[in-house]
Amino acid sequence: MGAVENRMLIERLFASAAAGDRKPFADHLADDVVMRVTGQYSWSQTFRGKETLLRDLYGYLGTLLADGRKTIPHRFIAEGDHVVMEAVGDMRTKAGVPYNNEYCLIYRLKDGKIVEIREYCDSTLTEAVLGPYRGPAAPAR
Amino acid sequence: MNAIDNKQLLQRIFEGLANRDGTLLVESMADDVCWRVIGTTNWSGNFSGKVAVMRELLAPLRQNLVQRSRTVAQRFLADGDFVVVEARGDNETRRALPYNNTYCFVFRLSGGKIREIIEYCDTDLIARVLDNRGGAVAAAG
Repeated sequence: MGAVENRMLIERLFASAAAGDRKPFADHLADDVVMRVTGQYSWSQTFRGKETLLRDLYGYLGTLLADGRKTIPHRFIAEGDHVVMEAVGDMRTKAGVPYNNEYCLIYRLKDGKIVEIREYCDSTLTEAVLGPYRGPAAPAR
Repeated sequence: MNAIDNKQLLQRIFEGLANRDGTLLVESMADDVCWRVIGTTNWSGNFSGKVAVMRELLAPLRQNLVQRSRTVAQRFLADGDFVVVEARGDNETRRALPYNNTYCFVFRLSGGKIREIIEYCDTDLIARVLDNRGGAVAAAG
Protein backbone atom coordinates (compact mmCIF):
# COMPACT_ATOMS: atom_id res chain seq x y z
CA MET A 1 0.00 0.00 0.00
CA GLY A 2 1.15 3.51 -0.79
CA ALA A 3 1.01 6.69 1.24
CA VAL A 4 -2.44 7.60 -0.07
CA GLU A 5 -3.94 4.23 0.81
CA ASN A 6 -2.28 4.26 4.23
CA ARG A 7 -3.59 7.73 4.94
CA MET A 8 -7.10 6.77 3.86
CA LEU A 9 -6.98 3.73 6.11
CA ILE A 10 -5.98 5.76 9.19
CA GLU A 11 -8.65 8.36 8.37
CA ARG A 12 -11.23 5.59 8.14
CA LEU A 13 -10.16 3.95 11.41
CA PHE A 14 -10.46 7.20 13.34
CA ALA A 15 -13.76 8.10 11.71
CA SER A 16 -15.09 4.78 13.00
CA ALA A 17 -13.62 5.35 16.45
CA ALA A 18 -15.16 8.84 16.58
CA ALA A 19 -18.50 7.23 15.79
CA GLY A 20 -18.02 4.92 18.75
CA ASP A 21 -16.65 1.85 17.01
CA ARG A 22 -13.07 1.08 18.04
CA LYS A 23 -13.06 -2.40 16.58
CA PRO A 24 -11.71 -1.44 13.12
CA PHE A 25 -8.71 0.23 14.77
CA ALA A 26 -7.99 -2.83 16.92
CA ASP A 27 -8.51 -5.11 13.92
CA HIS A 28 -5.80 -3.23 12.02
CA LEU A 29 -3.15 -3.52 14.71
CA ALA A 30 -0.52 -6.08 13.72
CA ASP A 31 -0.04 -8.83 16.29
CA ASP A 32 3.52 -7.61 16.85
CA VAL A 33 2.71 -3.88 16.87
CA VAL A 34 5.02 -1.73 19.00
CA MET A 35 3.76 1.51 20.52
CA ARG A 36 6.05 3.97 22.16
CA VAL A 37 4.79 6.85 24.25
CA THR A 38 7.72 9.21 23.80
CA GLY A 39 9.32 11.32 26.51
CA GLN A 40 10.59 10.80 30.02
CA TYR A 41 7.40 10.91 32.07
CA SER A 42 5.66 8.04 33.80
CA TRP A 43 3.60 7.08 30.76
CA SER A 44 6.67 6.90 28.52
CA GLN A 45 6.50 3.18 28.03
CA THR A 46 6.95 0.84 25.10
CA PHE A 47 4.01 -1.49 24.62
CA ARG A 48 5.00 -4.55 22.62
CA GLY A 49 2.36 -6.66 20.91
CA LYS A 50 -1.32 -6.08 20.22
CA GLU A 51 -2.52 -7.88 23.33
CA THR A 52 -0.20 -5.89 25.58
CA LEU A 53 -1.12 -2.59 23.92
CA LEU A 54 -4.85 -3.19 24.17
CA ARG A 55 -4.61 -4.33 27.78
CA ASP A 56 -1.84 -2.23 29.30
CA LEU A 57 -2.45 1.10 27.58
CA TYR A 58 -5.93 1.31 26.06
CA GLY A 59 -7.44 -1.02 28.68
CA TYR A 60 -5.83 0.95 31.49
CA LEU A 61 -7.05 4.23 29.97
CA GLY A 62 -10.53 2.70 29.94
CA THR A 63 -10.35 2.35 33.74
CA LEU A 64 -9.59 6.08 34.08
CA LEU A 65 -11.73 7.70 31.38
CA ALA A 66 -15.47 7.93 30.95
CA ASP A 67 -17.10 6.05 28.09
CA GLY A 68 -17.31 7.87 24.78
CA ARG A 69 -13.74 9.16 24.66
CA LYS A 70 -12.74 10.45 21.25
CA THR A 71 -9.58 11.39 19.43
CA ILE A 72 -10.41 13.92 16.74
CA PRO A 73 -7.86 14.27 13.92
CA HIS A 74 -7.27 17.65 12.33
CA ARG A 75 -4.41 16.89 9.95
CA PHE A 76 -2.87 13.91 8.20
CA ILE A 77 0.59 13.91 6.65
CA ALA A 78 1.70 10.78 4.83
CA GLU A 79 4.89 9.59 3.19
CA GLY A 80 5.63 6.02 2.20
CA ASP A 81 4.85 3.65 5.07
CA HIS A 82 4.19 6.46 7.56
CA VAL A 83 1.08 8.44 8.40
CA VAL A 84 1.31 11.36 10.81
CA MET A 85 -1.94 12.34 12.51
CA GLU A 86 -2.36 15.51 14.53
CA ALA A 87 -5.37 15.31 16.79
CA VAL A 88 -7.06 16.59 19.91
CA GLY A 89 -8.66 14.45 22.54
CA ASP A 90 -12.26 14.92 23.61
CA MET A 91 -12.37 13.01 26.87
CA ARG A 92 -13.34 13.16 30.52
CA THR A 93 -12.14 11.20 33.47
CA LYS A 94 -14.63 9.07 35.33
CA ALA A 95 -14.72 11.89 37.89
CA GLY A 96 -15.76 14.29 35.12
CA VAL A 97 -12.50 16.20 34.67
CA PRO A 98 -11.93 17.25 31.03
CA TYR A 99 -8.94 15.60 29.39
CA ASN A 100 -8.41 17.21 26.00
CA ASN A 101 -4.82 16.48 25.11
CA GLU A 102 -2.99 17.48 21.92
CA TYR A 103 -1.50 14.58 20.02
CA CYS A 104 0.90 13.94 17.23
CA LEU A 105 0.69 10.25 16.43
CA ILE A 106 2.96 8.59 13.92
CA TYR A 107 1.81 5.31 12.43
CA ARG A 108 3.98 2.97 10.40
CA LEU A 109 2.05 0.53 8.30
CA LYS A 110 2.88 -2.66 6.50
CA ASP A 111 0.47 -4.55 4.26
CA GLY A 112 -2.53 -2.68 5.62
CA LYS A 113 -1.66 -3.24 9.29
CA ILE A 114 -0.28 -0.83 11.88
CA VAL A 115 3.10 -2.16 12.96
CA GLU A 116 4.47 0.81 14.91
CA ILE A 117 3.01 3.84 16.75
CA ARG A 118 4.82 6.75 18.32
CA GLU A 119 2.85 9.19 20.44
CA TYR A 120 3.79 12.77 21.28
CA CYS A 121 1.44 14.72 23.54
CA ASP A 122 1.23 17.26 26.35
CA SER A 123 2.73 15.12 29.10
CA THR A 124 2.15 17.78 31.77
CA LEU A 125 -1.58 17.44 31.17
CA THR A 126 -1.38 13.66 31.20
CA GLU A 127 0.38 13.60 34.56
CA ALA A 128 -1.89 16.30 36.02
CA VAL A 129 -5.22 14.80 34.97
CA LEU A 130 -4.58 11.07 34.68
CA GLY A 131 -1.85 10.85 37.30
CA PRO A 132 1.24 8.70 37.01
CA TYR A 133 1.01 5.60 34.87
CA ARG A 134 0.05 2.68 37.08
CA GLY A 135 -0.84 0.20 34.39
CA PRO A 136 0.44 -3.33 34.32
CA ALA A 137 3.22 -2.70 31.80
CA ALA A 138 6.75 -3.24 32.99
CA PRO A 139 8.16 -0.10 34.59
CA ALA A 140 11.24 -0.03 32.33
CA ARG A 141 11.14 2.95 29.97
CA MET B 1 9.09 24.07 -3.94
CA ASN B 2 7.70 20.57 -3.69
CA ALA B 3 7.82 18.01 -0.88
CA ILE B 4 11.28 16.81 -1.87
CA ASP B 5 12.72 20.35 -1.86
CA ASN B 6 11.04 21.09 1.48
CA LYS B 7 12.42 17.91 3.00
CA GLN B 8 15.92 18.66 1.70
CA LEU B 9 15.77 22.13 3.23
CA LEU B 10 14.79 20.68 6.62
CA GLN B 11 17.54 18.07 6.33
CA ARG B 12 20.08 20.85 5.78
CA ILE B 13 18.62 22.86 8.67
CA PHE B 14 18.94 19.88 11.01
CA GLU B 15 22.49 19.17 9.86
CA GLY B 16 23.20 22.57 11.35
CA LEU B 17 21.16 21.97 14.50
CA ALA B 18 23.03 18.72 15.15
CA ASN B 19 26.17 20.90 15.28
CA ARG B 20 24.62 23.61 17.45
CA ASP B 21 24.23 25.89 14.44
CA GLY B 22 20.77 27.37 13.98
CA THR B 23 21.77 29.86 11.28
CA LEU B 24 19.88 28.18 8.45
CA LEU B 25 16.82 27.64 10.65
CA VAL B 26 16.64 31.34 11.42
CA GLU B 27 17.35 32.33 7.81
CA SER B 28 14.60 30.02 6.57
CA MET B 29 11.87 31.31 8.85
CA ALA B 30 9.47 33.74 7.21
CA ASP B 31 9.18 37.11 8.96
CA ASP B 32 5.62 36.21 9.92
CA VAL B 33 6.39 32.67 11.02
CA CYS B 34 4.25 31.25 13.80
CA TRP B 35 5.89 28.78 16.20
CA ARG B 36 3.56 26.96 18.55
CA VAL B 37 4.75 24.93 21.52
CA ILE B 38 1.95 22.60 22.64
CA GLY B 39 0.57 22.42 26.13
CA THR B 40 0.08 24.82 28.99
CA THR B 41 3.58 25.14 30.44
CA ASN B 42 5.29 28.47 30.86
CA TRP B 43 7.04 27.70 27.55
CA SER B 44 3.83 26.78 25.71
CA GLY B 45 1.96 29.06 23.37
CA ASN B 46 2.03 30.77 20.02
CA PHE B 47 5.07 32.86 19.15
CA SER B 48 4.05 35.00 16.21
CA GLY B 49 6.69 36.60 13.99
CA LYS B 50 10.37 35.88 13.67
CA VAL B 51 11.30 38.63 16.11
CA ALA B 52 9.05 37.19 18.82
CA VAL B 53 10.33 33.67 18.15
CA MET B 54 13.91 34.85 18.57
CA ARG B 55 13.33 37.07 21.58
CA GLU B 56 10.66 35.15 23.51
CA LEU B 57 11.45 31.53 22.73
CA LEU B 58 14.94 30.89 21.37
CA ALA B 59 16.82 33.47 23.46
CA PRO B 60 15.32 32.26 26.78
CA LEU B 61 16.12 28.68 25.79
CA ARG B 62 19.72 29.68 25.09
CA GLN B 63 19.79 31.34 28.53
CA ASN B 64 18.88 28.01 30.12
CA LEU B 65 21.57 25.97 28.41
CA VAL B 66 25.32 25.69 28.89
CA GLN B 67 25.92 25.68 25.14
CA ARG B 68 23.89 26.51 22.07
CA SER B 69 21.18 23.88 21.73
CA ARG B 70 21.84 20.64 19.88
CA THR B 71 18.94 18.81 18.26
CA VAL B 72 19.48 15.61 16.33
CA ALA B 73 16.90 14.57 13.74
CA GLN B 74 15.87 10.95 13.55
CA ARG B 75 13.25 10.93 10.80
CA PHE B 76 11.90 13.25 8.09
CA LEU B 77 8.48 12.78 6.51
CA ALA B 78 7.29 15.14 3.77
CA ASP B 79 3.88 15.57 2.19
CA GLY B 80 3.06 18.64 0.11
CA ASP B 81 3.74 21.80 2.11
CA PHE B 82 4.46 19.87 5.32
CA VAL B 83 7.60 18.28 6.70
CA VAL B 84 7.51 16.34 9.96
CA VAL B 85 10.79 15.94 11.83
CA GLU B 86 11.21 13.62 14.80
CA ALA B 87 14.25 14.63 16.79
CA ARG B 88 16.05 14.33 20.09
CA GLY B 89 17.69 17.11 22.05
CA ASP B 90 21.16 16.65 23.49
CA ASN B 91 21.64 19.47 25.96
CA GLU B 92 22.66 20.41 29.46
CA THR B 93 21.15 23.20 31.51
CA ARG B 94 23.10 25.76 33.48
CA ARG B 95 21.89 23.91 36.57
CA ALA B 96 23.79 20.87 35.20
CA LEU B 97 20.65 18.90 34.38
CA PRO B 98 20.40 16.88 31.18
CA TYR B 99 17.78 18.32 28.86
CA ASN B 100 17.25 15.73 26.17
CA ASN B 101 13.71 16.31 25.03
CA THR B 102 11.94 14.25 22.37
CA TYR B 103 10.42 16.33 19.61
CA CYS B 104 8.02 15.97 16.78
CA PHE B 105 8.10 19.18 14.76
CA VAL B 106 5.50 19.85 12.08
CA PHE B 107 6.79 22.45 9.61
CA ARG B 108 4.61 24.15 7.01
CA LEU B 109 6.51 25.79 4.18
CA SER B 110 5.74 27.88 1.16
CA GLY B 111 8.05 29.57 -1.30
CA GLY B 112 11.06 27.99 0.39
CA LYS B 113 10.29 29.62 3.75
CA ILE B 114 9.02 28.14 6.99
CA ARG B 115 5.60 29.65 7.72
CA GLU B 116 4.51 27.59 10.69
CA ILE B 117 6.12 25.30 13.25
CA ILE B 118 4.22 23.14 15.70
CA GLU B 119 6.42 21.67 18.39
CA TYR B 120 5.19 18.53 20.11
CA CYS B 121 7.50 17.59 22.96
CA ASP B 122 7.63 16.25 26.50
CA THR B 123 6.19 19.28 28.28
CA ASP B 124 6.58 17.59 31.66
CA LEU B 125 10.35 17.52 31.07
CA ILE B 126 10.29 21.23 30.21
CA ALA B 127 8.45 22.00 33.44
CA ARG B 128 10.87 19.92 35.50
CA VAL B 129 14.15 20.97 33.93
CA LEU B 130 13.95 24.43 32.39
CA ASP B 131 13.66 27.63 34.37
CA ASN B 132 10.53 29.67 34.09
CA ARG B 133 10.57 31.29 30.61
CA GLY B 134 9.53 34.69 31.93
CA GLY B 135 12.44 34.59 34.36
CA ALA B 136 14.80 33.70 31.59
CA VAL B 137 13.47 36.56 29.45
CA ALA B 138 13.96 38.97 32.33
CA ALA B 139 17.49 37.69 32.96
CA ALA B 140 18.33 38.02 29.25
CA GLY B 141 16.91 41.51 29.11
